[in-house]
Amino acid sequence: MALFEIFDPKAPPHPIGIDLGTTNSLVAYVKNERPVAVADCDLETLVPSVVAYLPNGDVVVGRRAVRLAAEHPRDTIVSAKRFMGRGSDDPETRRLGPYEFAEPAAGEANTVRFKVAGSRVVTPVEVSAEILRALKAQAEDALRNVGGAVVTVPAYFDDAQRQATKDAARLAGLEVLRLLNEPTAAALAYGLEKRTNGTFAVYDLGGGTFDVTILLLDDGVFQVRSTGGDSQLGGDDMDRALARELLAALGFDEQRQTPQLIRLVLDEARRAKHALTTLDEVEAEVPGQKRVKITRARFEELIRPLLERTGLACRRALKDAGHKPADIDGVILVGGATRVPAVRRYVAELFGKEPLADIDPDQVVALGAAVQADLLAGQGRTDDVLLLDVIPLSLGIEVGGGVVDKVLPRNSTTPCVARATYTTQEDKQTGFEIHVVQGEREMVADNRSLARFTLKGIPPMPAGMARLEVALHVDADGLLSVHAKELTTAIEQTVTVKPSYGLDDATVEKMLLDALDHGEEDLAVRRLAEGRVDASRIVAAARKGLQADGDLLEAGERARIEAACDALDEASRGDEPSRIRARIDALDDATKAFAARRMNRAIARAIEGKSLDRVEKSVEHAKGVEEAHAR
Amino acid sequence: MDPFATLGISPSFDVDLAAVEKTHRELSRALHPDRYLGASASERRSALLKAVEVNEAWGVVRDPIRRAESLLALRGVAMGEGHEPKSAPEFLMEMLEQREALSEARQARDAAAVHRMAAQAEARSREVERALSEGFARGEAASPADLAGLAGKVGELRFYRRLLDEVSAIEDELAA
Repeated sequence: MALFEIFDPKAPPHPIGIDLGTTNSLVAYVKNERPVAVADCDLETLVPSVVAYLPNGDVVVGRRAVRLAAEHPRDTIVSAKRFMGRGSDDPETRRLGPYEFAEPAAGEANTVRFKVAGSRVVTPVEVSAEILRALKAQAEDALRNVGGAVVTVPAYFDDAQRQATKDAARLAGLEVLRLLNEPTAAALAYGLEKRTNGTFAVYDLGGGTFDVTILLLDDGVFQVRSTGGDSQLGGDDMDRALARELLAALGFDEQRQTPQLIRLVLDEARRAKHALTTLDEVEAEVPGQKRVKITRARFEELIRPLLERTGLACRRALKDAGHKPADIDGVILVGGATRVPAVRRYVAELFGKEPLADIDPDQVVALGAAVQADLLAGQGRTDDVLLLDVIPLSLGIEVGGGVVDKVLPRNSTTPCVARATYTTQEDKQTGFEIHVVQGEREMVADNRSLARFTLKGIPPMPAGMARLEVALHVDADGLLSVHAKELTTAIEQTVTVKPSYGLDDATVEKMLLDALDHGEEDLAVRRLAEGRVDASRIVAAARKGLQADGDLLEAGERARIEAACDALDEASRGDEPSRIRARIDALDDATKAFAARRMNRAIARAIEGKSLDRVEKSVEHAKGVEEAHAR
Repeated sequence: MDPFATLGISPSFDVDLAAVEKTHRELSRALHPDRYLGASASERRSALLKAVEVNEAWGVVRDPIRRAESLLALRGVAMGEGHEPKSAPEFLMEMLEQREALSEARQARDAAAVHRMAAQAEARSREVERALSEGFARGEAASPADLAGLAGKVGELRFYRRLLDEVSAIEDELAA
């Protein structure tokens, strides 16, 4: 094994939290019950989300890539996150920037493609995977063996953007425990720190995305009430506004703007923005050009429209949550762009109180993600803390006339499902086209298209006779899956969804195989390690169950379960992954009925617990509920 | 599925949402997939199904439109595609006019007019909700004609919801 290979399969796997940001990314983990960010050898925790593709084939990530940007503006991708899950014709590709885009070839997925280093073409998913790989390596350096990862996404990301993020993590060789919404992650970091209950607003203005989330913190449950935002609004847009001002002041019209110039001006705009946090006036200096004076007042005037867009989203989120600004107990600031004094003033005015910013707004999301990763890996205070999140945008299905039938409203708590039934329009119609969209508008054209597919093999029937049930499932990651069936014949359809934007499964699989840098042997070692981890978790859970709810066991059941646990333990000590898997399945079988009884008890207790003041009534209710759930 | 039973309350249009939200939270504490990551596959699956059911029930109960539809369904009134109740012609006329006024305000970029229409639609929605609450409170005594009337009210509420959604979208558009 090469010396630089840091990964050590024998070390215990350590869960990590990753904030994959527009401008900067970072990785954190829980050490002695506190989340800490991982620093590199220069003691820096922030990794700039910048990837440079060099003519010799080298790929450079982070601060070194930043230094290459001026020389290789087209080959250095900055802010790839803004292009995640976007089509090649997305308006984002036409905004001020130095990139060259490639059109997808016939039959290729409709996704943004950057043309870099001469002839190379990369997608935002691949660019993001490079950043994640660098973070993983940084974590392995500190932890030796990295376990599962919680990767954060803006709450307002739609399904395509979430899917793209998960694909990037898979490409980087990470096991994704959960995609977590950034504001919720921040609230987790704050909530655990402060140990208070109440209603909080998280105002998250990052490099490229804006989120606002209203959530209720009640005895360790972080319940998101509503979320809103704009997945293309952030500090980058402040830079662009300032850059346009600079270009005009320097007398460059559009024809004279080269990629090098745009990169230099954008960088200088960002420096000026940072300087204006403490100064009232700065002189911007683009190399080779005259100096341009910018006052803080002018900068604030330029960004005012951006702030107003965030205000609109905040007011809507409050309304969706059924709250007035006065109901909010605290406002949490997240994201580097909230360092701009005008942003802080705006937020204070909007909510009528001074916002909290005592955890570093650049780190807070990764710290929260690390806590969640720790909880999910079963190492933290699992019984006290739970995150209940929502879908940010309504999901709908196209019906006649280009109109959307909204089947799952925004702010529905995940995991969730919605079903809608449709019928055929023509006699003997055997196929039915389904188009899934996301957004709040009435007309399909005004929403974001997620996927299209055709339900085939409907038995020929007169028009209006077939009953097609479409179910949209959203899991705890906020990711969508679609199921369809014809009800009169109960023909279940396996639906292959072709995403409207982004990569299909086959493409990701292929990229994954291409990117695989571990040999077969390494894979087997990994599989064995994973099997052992799963086995020890499942055995622990089963034994805990026996202890907690032993009175629910039927005759002989305890002995059967204990035997299955012992058998799995024994297999775990061996080195055959397939044997471990088989015994995991056997334990699963042995505990099935017992687990169902335990779940019904947990449900009854949950209902009972909320109303101890009305004990008799609640017991009666609990019984009714237990019956309702047992059905 | 009876969403009211899932959440341990009796079916009614008037519900104590704060109390039900608390129940939903406690049920989630017991059932959320995060709780079962270490569990066996079948346990994970059944917890997921339950969690989805509980979330679906909460989604129905907290939304006046879906709550009313569910109450009607429990009383045997068919809802959904092909069963839309007929709305009164006056109501349809009113909605057409509202739509027209909204699209004019959008053309004229008249944000004040859009806000005014939103306030009106919200006030009307609340009136309809009050009528539904009174109608459902009559309970078992409700005749099929009464129920059909309530279904019509639900239809109105849905119209206002769509109008308000469109208003929100136009507000966004005017602010951008």
